[in-house]
Amino acid sequence: MADYESKEAVTICCRPLHQFLATAEYEYHELVAFRVTAVIFLYVMKSILHIISLSTVLLSTLSINSNVIAQNGSPLTGLSALSESDIQSSAIAFVNTTSSPGLEGATLEVDDTQRESDQWRSSLGFTAEVTLKDHIFNAYWGLGLVTGSLHDRIQLTADTGEPVRLDMTRDVTSLRGSLGLIFPVNQHFKLRSVLTLAVSDLQTNSIVDGILDSNNNPTIQTFDNSAQLASTAGSLDALYWHWFDNYKLELSAHYNVIYTDSFSEDNPILDTHAWDSTAQLKSRFSGPTSLTTKARPWRWLVYANHSNFITQEKTALGYTGLFEIGTGLEWQLNVKPLDWFGWQYIGFSVGVITSRNVDGINVGITAR
Amino acid sequence: MINLPFKRQTKRIIFFTVMCTVLSSCVQPSVFKAEDYALIKSNYPIVVINGIDIEDTYKLDLEAGENSLVVVYNTYQYDYFCTFSWIAKAGTAYEITDQENNHPLTLFRWHRKNGLLTTRLDPVNPLECTQKPR
Repeated sequence: MADYESKEAVTICCRPLHQFLATAEYEYHELVAFRVTAVIFLYVMKSILHIISLSTVLLSTLSINSNVIAQNGSPLTGLSALSESDIQSSAIAFVNTTSSPGLEGATLEVDDTQRESDQWRSSLGFTAEVTLKDHIFNAYWGLGLVTGSLHDRIQLTADTGEPVRLDMTRDVTSLRGSLGLIFPVNQHFKLRSVLTLAVSDLQTNSIVDGILDSNNNPTIQTFDNSAQLASTAGSLDALYWHWFDNYKLELSAHYNVIYTDSFSEDNPILDTHAWDSTAQLKSRFSGPTSLTTKARPWRWLVYANHSNFITQEKTALGYTGLFEIGTGLEWQLNVKPLDWFGWQYIGFSVGVITSRNVDGINVGITAR
Repeated sequence: MINLPFKRQTKRIIFFTVMCTVLSSCVQPSVFKAEDYALIKSNYPIVVINGIDIEDTYKLDLEAGENSLVVVYNTYQYDYFCTFSWIAKAGTAYEITDQENNHPLTLFRWHRKNGLLTTRLDPVNPLECTQKPR
């Protein structure tokens, strides 16, 4: 593969495995210290997360391949079809499918011929519209803390024919802030443009099972590494709503362009950047119930959402789109914390997520 | 319980005390012009009060009793002139805002629950909203 022939890649590739592991471990500790500093600074990140990236696994694969090359003295195929680009897109895709604007909590399972993975994401955040007096447009802001994890199990065939199992766990924590403007076109329709800045901490742990050592005995190798990512997302949203007596229909379309810059001290392949785009279509229908709590009404709701990770390769995570349908209840509390921003509803919802080779659920608390 | 050094615990307690003090001063009680007056705040300009045109304003002292207001909800396609009529109680604050409801604007009774929180109660829809192209 061409990427393996670059000088840097060959250097990594041909580094003895134990040296590579020793280096990786040393740099990992340095990065833990960095993360602790970041956690204190941000205050909300209370625990150190373990990050695993596909790149580590693939680097280890490269090491394996180089060892095998040395033993057999013949060119390799198979595993070496994986490129640096695959490594980068996989790591960034995981971050994007966790922390992109508009995504909600989810638990996903990918079940494919060669791949089984479990992914979850969860977010705690709030967005609000602020009226700007003497202007037609209004302001919009939001803050959010997002966490997610992926456990990916991939069955591969080494270039020499033996099966190799890659077992990866990746964890990410993101803190994001959004600022934007809302343009009301009429009483049923608004356009919204938002700029979102996010910082993410990504940790990867990889276990490679099936590597042959110099005596052709299978071994198990473990790698840890990390990366920090800064993302800038520009979003354009179109929001429509209409009331039919006490029933409300809401439709929205969202398009995000995301620029991600990744930094890693222990994995040079993850010192990279990427442009991605995602799109979402959301629909929601709600109606009254006879339930009240503290004289405040409850409303039922049903919803259907489609998310399309437009630029994402299917090989990155095993999917490029998700469809979700669900239902829930919302309580109209109608409060105004700090006399600043209105908080209309709190509720809970249950959703089913599906796509080709993907199944999942979304159970969570909603606030808006 | 996390076992922290005393100094760090003290700093943390001071920090939270200061934060709570600052935040609890966010919601100020409403100040009324006189005992028999109510107060209304609007996120959108009030242009007519009890049938009389006024300059755009966002805050008004109202005499208790039946009052009528026209408030404009501006959009890029139309202006919506919404007429509210209700009986204002003395010493009570009201608020007009948009919540993507059936009508462009809704009138609420504004209630200070504590230093951190206000609530919007007793929603009143406008009698009518007249739509005019911009």
